[in-house]
Order: sequence, then structure tokens, then C-alpha cells
Amino acid sequence: MVGLYYALPARWRAPLLLASSYYFYFSWRPSYTLLLAATTLLDYYSGVRMSRLGTKQQRRPWLYLSLASNLGTLFIFKYFNFFRDTAGALATALHLPYAVPVLELVLPVGVSFYTFQSVAYIVDVYQGKLAAEQKLGRFALFVAFWPQLVAGPIERGGQMLPQLRQPHEFDYDNVATGLRLMAWGMFKKVVIADRLALLANPVFNHPRQFDSLALVLAVAAFMGQIYADFSGYTDLARGAARVLGYRLVLNFRQPYLATSVGDFWRRWHMSLSNWFRDYVFIPLGGSRRSPARNYGNVLLVFLLSGLWHGASWTFVVWGALHGLYLVLENWSAPLRARLAQATGLAARPRLHRALATAATVALVAYAWIFFRANTLPDAFYISTHLVQGWGHLHLPQLQALMAGLGRHFVAELVVAVGAVAVLTAADYRAERGPVSVWLARWAAPMRWAGYLGLLLATLFCGIFGSSQFIYFQF
Amino acid sequence: MQKLLLRLTLLLGTAALLGGLGIWLGLRRGYVDAFYARFASPPARSLVLGTSRAAQGIKPDVLAAQLQRYEGPWLNYAFTLAESPYGPGYLSSIQRKLAPGTKNGLFVLAVDPWSLSLPKDVKRGKYPFLSKAGTLQRLAGGKGPVIFPEEQSMVSQLADVSQNPNLDYLAHYLRKPFYQLLLNADTAHVVERLHPNGWLEIALPPPSADTALLRRRTADKLATYRKLAANSSFSEDRYYGLLETIRFLQQHGQVVLVRLPTGAQMAELEKQYIPGFDNRMRSFTDISHVPYLNYLDQPYPTNDGNHITRQAAEQFSQRLAADIARLSN
Repeated sequence: MVGLYYALPARWRAPLLLASSYYFYFSWRPSYTLLLAATTLLDYYSGVRMSRLGTKQQRRPWLYLSLASNLGTLFIFKYFNFFRDTAGALATALHLPYAVPVLELVLPVGVSFYTFQSVAYIVDVYQGKLAAEQKLGRFALFVAFWPQLVAGPIERGGQMLPQLRQPHEFDYDNVATGLRLMAWGMFKKVVIADRLALLANPVFNHPRQFDSLALVLAVAAFMGQIYADFSGYTDLARGAARVLGYRLVLNFRQPYLATSVGDFWRRWHMSLSNWFRDYVFIPLGGSRRSPARNYGNVLLVFLLSGLWHGASWTFVVWGALHGLYLVLENWSAPLRARLAQATGLAARPRLHRALATAATVALVAYAWIFFRANTLPDAFYISTHLVQGWGHLHLPQLQALMAGLGRHFVAELVVAVGAVAVLTAADYRAERGPVSVWLARWAAPMRWAGYLGLLLATLFCGIFGSSQFIYFQF
Repeated sequence: MQKLLLRLTLLLGTAALLGGLGIWLGLRRGYVDAFYARFASPPARSLVLGTSRAAQGIKPDVLAAQLQRYEGPWLNYAFTLAESPYGPGYLSSIQRKLAPGTKNGLFVLAVDPWSLSLPKDVKRGKYPFLSKAGTLQRLAGGKGPVIFPEEQSMVSQLADVSQNPNLDYLAHYLRKPFYQLLLNADTAHVVERLHPNGWLEIALPPPSADTALLRRRTADKLATYRKLAANSSFSEDRYYGLLETIRFLQQHGQVVLVRLPTGAQMAELEKQYIPGFDNRMRSFTDISHVPYLNYLDQPYPTNDGNHITRQAAEQFSQRLAADIARLSN
């Protein structure tokens, strides 16, 4: 694909990308390609029509039409059954008749990502911040660009469309950087994420057989798993795009080194956080309203963010928990500052930062329980039994926890700890500047030995053919 | 572009060389898993077929030694209940594994109620949209064709089942990292070992050594199968799959149906689950002249109330070979 891409004349490269993107989607489920094409066509047409109208009032019907198409698609395919079941449970509790049929529809892969990308585009055009794309093919490629179609990052028209208008010639640095990112992403996925999943899954699938240490270890394992999984996917997507000459937005910036929950959300799934900030939080008034309204807006945004992740109450609670964290964080900021002064922590910034990071990681990890648990009762069980049973060591529980790693569980633990240490060191290094710049300072033989080590570690320690990326389900 | 290609070739070439060397060493000196050797062996002319009971209970080398009139090489090509119940998936894999030109092979088909059952809530597909037969069946209220649960399993999906090394298997179905191949070189302390002839040896201590452990394993196994019995039923689709398998194999030699010995409680459970099972199997003798040998109630020790022990596998294989030899005379 890459060879053909650069072998073709420049004007044929974008059409090749569009064809390959649609083929990619078509090979998953042919009929849903029509859905992607239909919403794309409607968004394109709405954008073009809006660009010819002078006032917002004139543009508004086209905005509503496009929003209805995107959010309607999302509602029907992702949320209809969730709301149906919830309403059904409520009706049963109130002894009311209820007979709404289940929609037996498969969730279109990537629908949450590409609809949000299209909504951002159409709102930007409506507000006059972005010129509508006049070429259908280019707009279709913006929506369906295969490296980021199924799980983001969620791109903006202002960032991506200018790149789609430029010719992309072969560039050594782009291709080399892209391949490095892909290799790193693959390592994170198959060596770290899929290995930690073996530790987390037995506990989250049968939580009532565990308490205390086993639950804590499983939550910690999932915390590492989801970061390595999603950031690994993002590195693969960004790397693949970079090889083709495109730069996708940064989606992760060492989130587990955040010093507050607010800071965490400026580092985790940044393209989604920025989307909610720009298209929900700010239109609601942002932080310029009264504190009560501001807190209400924060809660609403995080409830919606939770619901975006999945049509389940576990995700809603996960979002609500983060909203609550942020509200408390903002509310207690002056109090915490006074406490830092009183205890002398303010004078020791490194220790202060380390404690703040530890507290943030603990809060985020606690919330992950609701994200990963199969049901809400499971989540409540885990969240309330983390602190129970510490008085005595339950050997059978630890054996059951390790069973997922197989007979060579000691070797597996060594590999897991080693790989997580490499990821942590890379994140610490990235806090001080781009890792690529740091790598470029290495002597060439050392650098290439590092690349070779990464490839061999992925080949020998990777767990292949087991699971897809977590965020593919959203 | 040339600079990049040169560097990539050097890097990937070195990685492929070192990676290939490591994997080659692992495959040569180590142990892969309970399935791989069957897919890395050459095509066979005589086969033992069925699920895990046959995989652990019948030793092809014993049959080969006593039944030399049949063509070799011999292979135990039985897997597990999830992978190789009778149906189109297993049949297509058998067709790929059987050596071309086989005329006088022996095919031991282990049967039990489980390998001829389907879940009660089995999924059904739609009839082809333009098929006249499908339209007529739909109009008549007929159900769609069964979607066999094992359709996506490795036995059904693996295209090349006689490739050494079998890279397709290693890339898609190996459930452990490659470095572990090198950790399994010590053969003295492993519990499970798949022999090159396909026999799966489970090297647990004899049941007499720890009766409490045996009781616990038996209880666990029975609980699993009771649940299975509650949610499954004898399937005409699987029965037809077995018939198709017999018809195919009869073109290449002698077919024998065998019901293996198992634990007494498991045998009882099976009799309750499908009371007329033996009669259904004997019907094959009438339809297709296939002998049916029933050892269900024979007292052989088991590891878990289901699979006979490795010592019992030797004894049982001797007896099976002697009985087949008698049938052939």
C-alpha cells in the first residue's frame, strides 16, 4: 500500500487513500459502508449549502439536519436498546405496560469517532470558523481516513483538511518517525496491554471470588492495560498516517504523571476531551458562569463523556465519578493550597508533585473499576471490597489471579514488570521533551540496537491473535 | 527512499534472522502446546478422531504396532469438545489431513453424546436470499441452517494442517508468547505433552496417590457436564455430520466407531442425558456396515472422572487394537 502510494503520481494518492479507506470499512461489514457514505454525503452537502448562506439563522436548518443525521445514527445504533431497557425496567417497576422491540443491530465500528468528527466539522462551518470543503472526495477522505477511522484520534477540519489539500511527497523523516511510532504502539499493545489483560480478566469476570490484594492487583493491571491498549492503538494510527505524510493530533501525553484529575483529562484521550470542551462545555457557558452552574456543566460533560464510551450504566457512573472528582477538585483548590502551605509541602515542590500524582492515579484507578466491570453490581462489589480482607493472605485467590498467566507465571510477571518499567521510563523521558529528539542524540549503533531490541521483544514477548483493541467497541 | 529501504532491510532482516533462529530453536527443543504437533506432522493415512477423551485415551503407536495391515503413518487427530465435535468444520479438517491416495487406512471415530450435541439455543443462519429452496422452506416455517459453534475454531479455520513449521498456526492460534517455547525444554517436569503421533499424554500422578484430589477434579468435571447436559440436546445436524465423515472415510479404508471408557459417574450421566445413544450408534452398523465398539462401562482409572489415565490409555489401546484385529479377521 505504501509503496503503491508513493509510486503513484501525487494527484492519485488521495483517491487511493479514499478507496483503501472504504475498502477497509467494506471488508468489515459491507452494508455499513453505505451508512458511512450516506452520512458523509449529507454532511458534505450541508457544509456546502451553509457556506453559501450569509447568516447563522439561514444556516441553522442545515446544521440541524446534519446533527440529526449524525446523532440519530449514533442513537439508533448505540443507545436505542440502552434507553429501551432502562425505560422497560422503569415501566416494570411502576407496573406499566411496555412493549418496545429490541433493535438487533450491530454497532458500526468507529461510529462514535467518525460521527463526532463530522459534528465538529459541521459546527465549525456553521459558526464560520472553517470554510466548507467543496470537494466531495476530499471531505469523504477526511471522514473515512483509514488510520483513524475506527478509534480516532478525533480530528478537526481545521487541522486535517489543509493537509488533505497538500501533495505528500516521500519524506524520510516522516516515514521513519511513523514506523518508530508504529513499532512502539505494537509493543505497548501485544507485550503490555494483552499481558496485563490476562491478570485483570479473571478477576473482573468473577469478582466475587476475590478481595483485597487480588482486587487491587487486578485494578492496577487494568489501569496499565487500558493505557497501553488505547495509547498503543493511537501510536499505530498516528504512525501509519505519518508514514503517508499526515500528522494526526496527539491523543495522550503521559496521563499517569498528571498532578490532578483536571490535568489527567488534559493528557488522556485529548482529542475527545477537547471535543467536549469546545462543543459542549464552552457552548454551555464554560467556566464563566456562577460556580454552581460551572459545576453543573462539568458534571453534565462528564456524564455525556461516560455515555459516549458505552451504552451502559457502568460507563455513566465512571463519567459521573470523574465529574465529581473535578467538581471537588475545583471547589477544594483554595483549601488544598492552604494545607500545602501549612504542612510545608508548598516549599518542597517535588514531593508535593509526587504526592499529587499518587493521589490522582489512585482516584483514576478507582474510577476504572466502573469502566471495566461487566455489571454495576460487580463494580460496586469490587469498589467496596478493595479494602476488605487485608488481615490474611488468600493464597488460592492469588493462584486464581496468576492462573491467567499460565504455567510460566513467574516469567510472565517478570516480562510484565519489565515492559511496564520501559513504558514508565519512556513517559518520564517524554515529560522532559520529545523522545524522538532524545533518541536522535544516541550514537547510531545504539539507536539501531534499541530498535532491534524493541522488535525482538515484541516478537518474542508479544501475545498475538488474542484480542482486539478495547476502544474498537466504542 | 533508497536509504530508508536499505536501513529497513537491514533492521528487519536482522530481526527476522534472530527471531527465526529463536523460534526454530523453540520448536526444535521446546514444546508448543496441546495441538500444534498435529498440524505440523505430515498427512496421515490412519487416524484417531474425536474429542479430548480420544486425544488422551488412544495411542496410535499401539494401534500401528498391532494393526500393520492398515496404511501408516498413524495420527491421533482428536482435539477437544470445543474444537472437534462432528460437523462440517471437523470433516473439512480431516479431509485436509488425510494423505492423498489413501486406500487402506484405519479410522477410529470416538463417539459420545457430547460430540453429537448442540446447545439448545444454537444460532441459525438465514437461507440464501435468492435460493428457491430457502424461500420454500421459509414459507413452510422451516428454520435456517445451524451455525455450528466451532465454525470459527482453529480446527475449522486452519487451511494448511500439515506444514512444518506451521506459521499460520503460530501466528494466529498460539496462545502464549514465543519465548515460552524455550522454557518448555525440560520434559521431566511437565504435566501435558503432545507426542508427535498426536497422543496427548497427561502426566498426572496416578489417582491412587491422591484420592481427595481425584474426587475434587471429578466433582468439577461432573458439574461442568451437568450444566452442558441441561443446555444441550442430541443434534440431528451433528449425527448427519458424523454420517458424512463416515461416508468420506469409507472411501479410504476401514471405519470403526468407538465409545471410550470413562468414569462411572460420567457414564451414568451420559446414559441419563441420551438414553438411546448406543442404539443410534448401532444404526450405523446397519446403514453403513461400520462396527461399533462400546467400552463405556469398562473400569479404567481416570484423571478427572472423564479422561482415562496415561497408563490406562496404553492398556485400552492394546485392547482396542486386539478387538479391531478380531473384527478384521
